[in-house]
Amino acid sequence: MDVWQELIILLEGVPLTLSISIVSFLIGIVVGLPFAFIRVYEKEIGFVVDAYEKIFRGIPEIVLLLLFYFGLGPYFPSTFGNAFFTAAFVLGLRSGANQSQIYRGAIRGVGDEQMIAGMSIGLSKWRAIWHIMIPQVFTFSTSGLGSEYALLIKDSAYVYVIGGLAELMKRAIELKYSAADVVTPFVISALLYILLTFPIAFWLDRWGNRRKKKIGL
Amino acid sequence: MFEFLLNPIYQMWIVQGLLLTVEITLFGVLLGLGLGTLLAIADIYGNRPIKVAIAVYVEFFRGSPLFVQLFLAVYTVPAILNIQIDHLFLAFLVFGLNSAAYQKGYMKGSMETILDDQMQAGLSVGMSKIQTLRHVILPQAYRIVIPSWTNEFCSLTKSTATLAFVGFRDLVGAGRSILINNMQIIPVWLVIAAIYLAWISGFSKLMDIIYEKKKIPGIELLMQ
Repeated sequence: MDVWQELIILLEGVPLTLSISIVSFLIGIVVGLPFAFIRVYEKEIGFVVDAYEKIFRGIPEIVLLLLFYFGLGPYFPSTFGNAFFTAAFVLGLRSGANQSQIYRGAIRGVGDEQMIAGMSIGLSKWRAIWHIMIPQVFTFSTSGLGSEYALLIKDSAYVYVIGGLAELMKRAIELKYSAADVVTPFVISALLYILLTFPIAFWLDRWGNRRKKKIGL
Repeated sequence: MFEFLLNPIYQMWIVQGLLLTVEITLFGVLLGLGLGTLLAIADIYGNRPIKVAIAVYVEFFRGSPLFVQLFLAVYTVPAILNIQIDHLFLAFLVFGLNSAAYQKGYMKGSMETILDDQMQAGLSVGMSKIQTLRHVILPQAYRIVIPSWTNEFCSLTKSTATLAFVGFRDLVGAGRSILINNMQIIPVWLVIAAIYLAWISGFSKLMDIIYEKKKIPGIELLMQ
């Protein structure tokens, strides 16, 4: 097998790597954003968020993937038995723990004055959060979200351990056996991962800085 | 359910696996701290070629998954050089080099919060640049960097789970070995997960205590 054939096989894994990362990222937003506001504004139940963050900080993604896919998969064939579901579930919940911390920093950065201003014109707490805080929180979090996205692209390689999804890492390791080549697949896949992580993190950071200047933050 | 924990062979695998995980993480974060500090200083004071070289190094190690880097180190590098190198040595090395790329960023940020004023102060009392770095800047930078360093420790520990897939029996490798003869999938991974959680949470807690004890008074004002 020549280098071009290997390159094509690896490139065909990129869409799956991207979709795992993007779906996980979206799950991370859905989990992380409410958790961040709970942690800042509902101090009595903040400990739940703390515990959640500690658990996902302390257990390797690989162990969670193996536990959910091979452990729970046989009992829940339509959800955890599905490799893509399990991958997005585990990586998404893990990302939610990280994103909660990113948004929490951003909420502090936007500042309490805006909440108070919103409530003083008659908005309820949660409406003030939705209409005033959240749009600004995203602007404030761009650089953190850029690295979180890059982290998810890299984490998607862990999905190899449950098999079943022919993403980039899985294809590279299979080429090691089928093409009996230990050089090209790993060099090319490393470069592809760098290509996937670099531009987005870079542009998000630039865009965030421009936007912050524009709205005077 | 958890009877497998009573089997002495399984116990041995788990303990040895934990030891490998702990050794490689501690080695990785410490090599990363040393090398990361040197890279941070070189990045602050170096000329353009040095900065570019450091940027390429950092982009490679931060832009690609450690999983791929591990395969590159264990299989690709010996194949290109056409020599036999001990896999464990290569694995230790790749964890250290990877961590250095992350820690360079943390150390640089940490040094830059205190660098300008204190460097001038050091020079004005007659210390050399290197003396000021060594005796004034670094002792403070290391104290400021502890929380980021603890995060790096957590994520590096989690990454060591990849070792099981290049032929080592780390903690995940121990779990896989146990599951060859024993079909208790959920209990085995729950136990492995609990051990990781205990080790990571315990070590982070220790570092938090050290950070509070060693914190420079009033540093919060400087960090804003």
